[in-house]
Amino acid sequence: MAAISSDRLRLLWLQPWFDEASKHMKKILPFIIILLVLGVALVSAWALKKHSLSAVTPVANNVTGARPADSNPPVVTGVPGSEPPHTLGPDAAPAKLEEFGDFECPPCGILHPILVEMHKEFGDRLQITFREFPLAPAHQHAIAAASAAEAAGLQGKFWEMHDLLYENQKTWHEAFDVRPIFEGYAKQIGLDMNRYQNDLNGDQVANRILQDGKRGHSMGVKGTPTVFLNGREVPFESLPADKLRVLINLELTNHR
Amino acid sequence: MSSESSTATADVTAKRRNLLFIVIGVLSLCGLADAIYLTIEHITGQSVRCTIVAGCSEVLSSSYAVVGGYPLASIGALAYFTVFSLAILAMFGYRIASQLLILLVLAMCLVSLWLIYLQAFVIHAFCQFCLLSAIITFTLTGLALFLWKTR
Repeated sequence: MAAISSDRLRLLWLQPWFDEASKHMKKILPFIIILLVLGVALVSAWALKKHSLSAVTPVANNVTGARPADSNPPVVTGVPGSEPPHTLGPDAAPAKLEEFGDFECPPCGILHPILVEMHKEFGDRLQITFREFPLAPAHQHAIAAASAAEAAGLQGKFWEMHDLLYENQKTWHEAFDVRPIFEGYAKQIGLDMNRYQNDLNGDQVANRILQDGKRGHSMGVKGTPTVFLNGREVPFESLPADKLRVLINLELTNHR
Repeated sequence: MSSESSTATADVTAKRRNLLFIVIGVLSLCGLADAIYLTIEHITGQSVRCTIVAGCSEVLSSSYAVVGGYPLASIGALAYFTVFSLAILAMFGYRIASQLLILLVLAMCLVSLWLIYLQAFVIHAFCQFCLLSAIITFTLTGLALFLWKTR
């Protein structure tokens, strides 16, 4: 009985301290929760960034920041695409750049002048190949545009149509019916219109698009533009001209 | 007796408000996760690559996706984090926090309406992650209005 009374006395003696601690705790608890959430958010953002960068298979030798360091992804070969492919530059070029593109994709439109610049700058040391990767049904005119380019290609004017499609992307992207617009481009580059009309819905054009698509899937392409340099995927954030230039120069240096 | 009943009513109201702040906090965390995802995708360049899912690349590669050099999504993340912080502070009795929360959520609602207008009539494409953020903001607006009514 005496022991219980003594315990109660001790608790009563500690009560003010508990009350004070509880008051302090109540004051700082919201800030602890807020800081905790801030910490979790920052760690999640860091982990997500790391995951996103590793998902784009970084390339080796970080000299100028163009390439994330410490990894060297394997060269991806994939199944063959359409033959012959649409290329700019000689087959013997030491740097070979292969783009999987969709004419209706805005970032592909942004990449277009960059690749034109690279072609002019590196000349015979760089070969650029374009592969069709129309993202239907996300882009409603993507297949029509790819078909127009391939039909022009059958008359040896793929790159002329390719350039017109990218340069005027914003014009036809909004259109309900793109056929008359593409016919206009075909006339502008001097195509035989009867043959163009026949080829547009022919098996040859459809097969070329299909073969390029199969090659893209076999190489792990999931979106556009996806660019490979000598078989290694170029991280999307390395596609601006200054970074891409560094990567091409590195390939040329490694080739020597 | 009447003082006991008014104390009981005040307790029920306080509990309801606390529940409201918890719901607002959870929703703002969902918005924060969505905005962090979009920010990182923007920074790493992934969101501006076209994929089989339509809309996001058009919206996120547009000039409206960047404000003063910062991704719009990062400003959204900051806004959601502030809403969360204010909800927590309000739950612990900081009265000014609940008033600031209502004002901030109303401002976010107006920005969301503007962004939906841009997607529908200017960019002509919808991004599902941006729409999710708008839904969260509209729900937060409803809750904030309810909070304002029960002041």
